[in-house]
Amino acid sequence: MLKKKMGVSLILVLLAVSVLSGCGSGDKNTITFWTPLTGDDGAYMDQLVKDYNATNPEYKVKHVITSDMYTKISTVLNSGKGVPDLAIIHADRVPGFVKQGVLEPMTGVMQAQPELKEENYLPQAWNTGNIDGTQYTVPLDIHSNAMYYNKDLLKKYNVESFLDDDVVTIEEMLSLQGKLDEGDYVVNDALLGWVVLAQIQNLGGDIQQDGKPAVNTEVMKQAFQEIKKIADAGLMTPFGEDGYLMFQSGNVLFSTDGTWSSTAHAAVENLNFGVTNIYSANADKFTNRASSHLFAMLNNDKRTDEKEAGIGQFLEFIRQNSMEWAKAGQIVASKQVIENPEYNKYIQSFFTASDKQIESLYIYTYEYYPYVAEAVDTYAADIVRGNVDIDETLQTMQKFVEDKIAEGSKAAE
Amino acid sequence: MKKKSLTPYFFVGPHLILFAVFIFLPTIYGIYASFTQWNLINDPVWVGLANYKTILFDTESTFYTQFFNGIKNTLIFVVLSVPILIVIPLLIAVALEHKKVKMKGLMQSILYIPGLISISAAALIWSLIFNKQLGITNNLFGSETVWAANQPYAWLIIIVITVWGGVGGNMIIYRASISGVSKDLYESAEMDGAGPIRRFSSITLPSIRFPLIYTFVMTTAGAFNVFGQPLMMTDGGPRQSTTVLMMYIRQLAFGHGESIAGMASAMAVLLGLVILVISAFQYYVMNRNAS
Repeated sequence: MLKKKMGVSLILVLLAVSVLSGCGSGDKNTITFWTPLTGDDGAYMDQLVKDYNATNPEYKVKHVITSDMYTKISTVLNSGKGVPDLAIIHADRVPGFVKQGVLEPMTGVMQAQPELKEENYLPQAWNTGNIDGTQYTVPLDIHSNAMYYNKDLLKKYNVESFLDDDVVTIEEMLSLQGKLDEGDYVVNDALLGWVVLAQIQNLGGDIQQDGKPAVNTEVMKQAFQEIKKIADAGLMTPFGEDGYLMFQSGNVLFSTDGTWSSTAHAAVENLNFGVTNIYSANADKFTNRASSHLFAMLNNDKRTDEKEAGIGQFLEFIRQNSMEWAKAGQIVASKQVIENPEYNKYIQSFFTASDKQIESLYIYTYEYYPYVAEAVDTYAADIVRGNVDIDETLQTMQKFVEDKIAEGSKAAE
Repeated sequence: MKKKSLTPYFFVGPHLILFAVFIFLPTIYGIYASFTQWNLINDPVWVGLANYKTILFDTESTFYTQFFNGIKNTLIFVVLSVPILIVIPLLIAVALEHKKVKMKGLMQSILYIPGLISISAAALIWSLIFNKQLGITNNLFGSETVWAANQPYAWLIIIVITVWGGVGGNMIIYRASISGVSKDLYESAEMDGAGPIRRFSSITLPSIRFPLIYTFVMTTAGAFNVFGQPLMMTDGGPRQSTTVLMMYIRQLAFGHGESIAGMASAMAVLLGLVILVISAFQYYVMNRNAS
């Protein structure tokens, strides 16, 4: 009797062990593909993968939507077990990953699939994966800061002329001071940090100088001050309120959110909207701060050359067939897709309509960009609303970034 | 000599294995990591006490500012939430004991269910309730401020959601222990002319001494680990006045860019020490006063 019970518990233990160790060990002929696409876009990627698998490739793709993907990536890289064959990473992760030596170059994949080359993709999406001449990633999309406008409100206030030259300037916005009905606002503060980073480009600055972070700079100060003018004039949605929601409820002329929001805006009844560039402090220049989803291969000894060829086939399929991805609101990186007339029915085709537009999609590639962005995001709202002293806060932000870099660089030595 | 039976080990074993794998080893590794500089991917580099020195003594450092701001905000949360999370459940538990209260089980379930709901789902609902345009604060009470972005309202909504979610757990413990108190004690006290307040303070409270100590210590330790409520309700604002230490720790280790896990571990170890000392102190004081 006792023996029997022990037997049962032993089986249970074995079962648990095998179940736990089973995590992640994929099939030999399956490409395990991790993405951080936890939102609606995950379903569009599912569809793309399904379409690919329907072509009966030798190596089928298994799409795993992975929440907290970057944490899990560091875990599997440490243990060397369960490393995915392919992953989608964000543009700002590339320099760090390459420095840490965890990305496998795409060289082999590109040799097998000659169409996976710079000329077939939006240049900045392709180049963000190129570090010191080696290509580490193949782009899927660019997702960018975008400014939506409420057509009815523009008409009501008779300011449709703002859109004429594709640059809505801060000056133009300020001209509406005192002319709005109560409860109406010119612009909200969605993705404010990205708007600040766009102004830095518009004003001819940068976030680094000779590899050192440049946060406490005149340009950064000016960028904040320009945006602050809008808030000071009472034209920005009030501090702490949900400006995104206020745009959707038809009380805000412009909303500075992302290309991916177009699907959500489209679902709002009676919201008559269009898309344009992020407002600018400079009438001659406009910038939309962007990022990119990139296919990348993390170091994995178990990835065979045959499997790499299979990955190449999948990426080539995506290059030709990612119109589906446009449905998610993203700017598809493959030129074959965006040059297809069908792509024009998607609102984000605005951003690739001309060379000047394509140029406006700016991806920061500075190695420590994530720290700079974190500092900007943490303090932007309070600076713009005048809750804090700008000079003092810029100093704090500079120190914030420098302290973090100092920690990381020592660890990497 | 009797042959030793293996059976006990099978009973203790699973827990021991789980404890070792998911609690003991990670704790040891976390303590080790706190003496290193580590980006979670490359090998940790031993730096001795450097992280602790930076956090505790380098007043210029961002990490010093973050740690002390984080611990200050965490302490504010503990001081505000723990007494409420003890007193309200206790009052409810006592009230539910009253003879005239009907449907005790239903009441208990209603109060307990919020604790089962995930904090992020609950926070979404509550942030709508406190939303300036859609919520009750503006439409019913005529408040003109955005609660999540102004103090002291930001703390208020964090405390409200915490109490809403946390009342049930302690209440169940108090109810269970109160129902274990002999009815004879109450009857004889009533015959001796003791009023309800006297009966509560002289019979109920001393009888549930251990559950009280237990809930006090556990609630305090739990409150020090607060993370979800401020993250979801205020995102640490306004001006980082509700950014609790766990939020900084998470940002450092798993935020954007290269991970700063060594520094994060050091902060976590310091937080653990604070919890340990305070819990020990609480236990000591309450146990001494009670005996």
